[in-house]
Amino acid sequence: MMQRSKKSRGIYWQIFLLVVLVVFVVIPLITLFSKIDGKTVHSLFNSAQFWPAFRNSILTTIISTIISVFIAYCLAWAISRTNIKCKGLFSILLVLPMLIPSISHGMGLTILFGNNGIITKLFKGTSIIYGYFGIILGSVMYSFPVAFLMFVDILKYEDSSVYDAADVLGIPKHKQFFSITLPYMRKALISILFTIFTLIITDYGVPLAVGGQVKTLAVLLYEHAVGQLNYSIGALIGLFLLVPAVVAFLFDLFNKDKSKTGYSTKEFKPKKDTLKDVLAYVICILVSAFVLFSISAFCLQAFAKTYPSDLSFTFEHFKNTFSKNGGEYLYNSIIMSLLTACVGMTVTFVVAYFTSRFKNKLSKLLHIISLISMSIPGLVLGLAYVIVFKRTFLYGTITILVFVNAVHFFASPYLMQYNALNKINENLESVGQVLNIPRVRIITDCILPQCKSTLVEAFTYFFVNSMMTISAVSFLSTRVNKPLSLMINQFEAYGMLECAAVVALLILAVNMLVKMIFYFVKRKKRRTKNVNKKTI
Amino acid sequence: MTNEKNIKLSIKNLSKTFDNGKQSEGVAIDNISFDVYDGEFLSILGPSGCGKTTILRLIIGLTEPTSGKIYKDGQDITNLKISKRGMGIVFQNYALFENMTVCQNVEFALKIKKATRKTAHETAMSLLQKMHLADFANKKPADLSGGQQQRVAIARTLALNPDIILFDEPMSALDVDTRMELCAEIKRVQKEFKTTIIYITHDQEEAFSMSDRIMVMTTAKISQIGTPEQILSSPANDYVKKFVVNNLLKKKESLNKIIERIK
Repeated sequence: MMQRSKKSRGIYWQIFLLVVLVVFVVIPLITLFSKIDGKTVHSLFNSAQFWPAFRNSILTTIISTIISVFIAYCLAWAISRTNIKCKGLFSILLVLPMLIPSISHGMGLTILFGNNGIITKLFKGTSIIYGYFGIILGSVMYSFPVAFLMFVDILKYEDSSVYDAADVLGIPKHKQFFSITLPYMRKALISILFTIFTLIITDYGVPLAVGGQVKTLAVLLYEHAVGQLNYSIGALIGLFLLVPAVVAFLFDLFNKDKSKTGYSTKEFKPKKDTLKDVLAYVICILVSAFVLFSISAFCLQAFAKTYPSDLSFTFEHFKNTFSKNGGEYLYNSIIMSLLTACVGMTVTFVVAYFTSRFKNKLSKLLHIISLISMSIPGLVLGLAYVIVFKRTFLYGTITILVFVNAVHFFASPYLMQYNALNKINENLESVGQVLNIPRVRIITDCILPQCKSTLVEAFTYFFVNSMMTISAVSFLSTRVNKPLSLMINQFEAYGMLECAAVVALLILAVNMLVKMIFYFVKRKKRRTKNVNKKTI
Repeated sequence: MTNEKNIKLSIKNLSKTFDNGKQSEGVAIDNISFDVYDGEFLSILGPSGCGKTTILRLIIGLTEPTSGKIYKDGQDITNLKISKRGMGIVFQNYALFENMTVCQNVEFALKIKKATRKTAHETAMSLLQKMHLADFANKKPADLSGGQQQRVAIARTLALNPDIILFDEPMSALDVDTRMELCAEIKRVQKEFKTTIIYITHDQEEAFSMSDRIMVMTTAKISQIGTPEQILSSPANDYVKKFVVNNLLKKKESLNKIIERIK
C-alpha cells in the first residue's frame, strides 16, 4: 500500500511539470497562431514587401549557412585532428562571437566596412557592406561558433581505429573522407545545417543593422510586431519562420543516432603531418584574427573621442551610455540573467530527473515538449508571450523576461542534464527503497553531487544567452524592465554607434567574466579529481 | 533433510504481466509457487529474458505482482513497504553512491536510520573489515576494482542486518579469477551472518558450485527445483537436460581435453 502511494507521487509531479510546460510553451503558441485569419493572409501575401523579403531570407540564409558550416568544420578539424599548439586559446577566441548579441556583429561590420568604416577609408573605396553582402558576412560571424562547437563534439567521439584499419588496407585519404567521415557525420551534419539555418533565418539583428534596403522575413516581423504592434501579421510571418525549425525537430526525433551507444571508441591521436598543421594554423589564425579585428573595432569606436577623425582616448561614451540609463539596464540584465540561470537550471534538472529516471508514457511526452522549445524562434516566442501576458500583471516585469528566456533556452541545458542523469546508475533509487533512504536524500546526497558540473554548465548557458538575447525580450520589455542588449537597437536607430559599441563591450565583459568563473570552477574540480587519483 | 527446515519465504501463485509498452511486454511470471528454507542458498538458473530478475524484484517489492502472495516467516508481505521486509539486494552493476567514499556508502543508510555518527562509523568499519575492505574505507568506488566494488555493495546491504539477501547476477561484470574469489566470499557471508540467499545467475557452474538447491526456469515458468544432485541425476524434462546437464557435460569434456594436452 505504502509503495503504491509513493509511485503515484512521482506521477503527480510529472503531471504538474506537464501543466507548467503546456502553460508556458504550448498555450502561447496556440494563442499566437489563432490570431491568423483569412484577412491577414490576404493582406500579407498581397503586400509589396512580403515576397521580396521571403526571397531575401531564403537566399541569404542558404548562402550564409553553407559558408558558416564549412568554416566551422575546417576549424573543428584543425582543433581536433591536427597537432597545432594553442588549441585552448583558439577555442576561446573562436567562440567569442557567441557572447555578444547578433546585432552587434552587424554593427561591427558597419564600423569596419561602413560608409565611414576603417577599411573603407583605408582603401578610399565605397562601402559594399549594406545589403546582401553584409547580411551574409554578419550571419556567418555569429553562427559559425555554434556549428564549430557541435562539430568539435562530434569529432571527439569518432572512433580512430576505423581510420587505422583504412590505412592498413591502403585506402587513400580523400576516399577515407568520403567513405568514412561523411557517412559517420551524415545525420549530425544535417542536424547542424538545420540548426544554423534556423538560427540565421530567425535573426533580425544583423539584417536590421546592415541590411539597408534588403529586408528579410525576421526584420519584417520585427517591424510589424514591435514597430506597428500588428500582431496578426507578425504571427503569420512567425509561422513561416517556424517551418525550418519544425522540420529540423522532426528530423532529429526520427533519426536518433543509435550506433554510438555502448561502444567504447579509441581517441584520436593526430599523426605528425607538417603540411596539415600549417594549413590548420592558417585557418585558425585567419578566423581568429577576423574575430579579434571586429571586437577591436568595437573598442576603437567605444574609446576613441570622435571616430574616425579624432582617435584620442576617452571614457566619454561610457559616461554618455550610463547617463542614458545604461547602468540601470545593465543591472536589469544581470538580475534577469541570474534569475533565468537559477530558474532554468533548477527546472531543467527537475524535468530531466523525471524524464530520465521514470520510464513511462508521461515522461516521453514531457521529453518531447521539452525539446519542442528548441524549435521555437525567439521572435515567435516573444510575440506569443506578449499576446498572452500583455494584460496581466506580469507584463513589464523582470519575471516575464525570466520566463520567456528560460523557455527559449530550455532545450540545450535540458538535454545536457538528461544525458548526465541517464549515465547515473539506474538502480540507485531501488537501493534507496531497500535501505529505507528517502528519494529526496538519494537526489540531494547522491545524484546532485554527481551532476555538479552539468548544473554549472546549464547555469552558464542560461546566463550568457540571457545576457545577449535580443529576440524574445524585445516584445516584452518596457521602460522599467528593459535589458541592456536592447539598447543596441535603440542607439543604432539614433546613429549613436559609439554608445552601441560600449553596450556590446559591456555585455562581452560580463559574459567573459562568467565564462572565466565557470572555467576555473571546472578546472578546480578536475584538479581535485586528479589529486584524488594520484594519492592511490 | 529439507523437510525438517523452517520455511523462510513462501511464494504462492505469483504472476506478473507487463502492459506499459516496454520490451518485456506480456507475461513475465506465470503462476509460480515455491518455498525458500531458512539459511538456504537457492539459485535461480535460466537464460536471459526468462523472468529471473522479475521474480527478484517481486520478492523485494520493487515491482508489484499482478496476482499471488508472498509470505515471509508465515506473514503476508505482498503489500508491505520495501524497507520493512528485512531484505537486502545486490545488483549486477553495483549501484554504489559514486560521490561517496566506501565507508560513507555503508554508513549512509545507518545515518538515515538516526544512528549516531559514531555507531554508524563503527558498524561500517567492522563490516568493511569483515569484507577485507578496511584499507579502502576512504577511497571512492571508481578507484576500486569490480570485485572490490561488489564487496562494498554487499557490505552496504549487510549494514541493515537483513535476514534474506537477493543477488541479481552479481558476477556477470567480473573476470574469472575475481568470480571465484567472490563466490567464496558470498558463501562465507552466508555462514557468518546466517542469512538466506536467493541468487540469480545464467551460469550453470556458478549455480552448481554454490547452491543448496537450484530452481531452473524457462520463460516465465519453473522447470525444476531441487538439489544439484537431483537435477543432475534426474532432469525433469528435455529442456533441463539440454540447458543444464548437457552444458555441464560439454564443459567437463573440454576441461578433460585441456588436462590431457598438458600431460
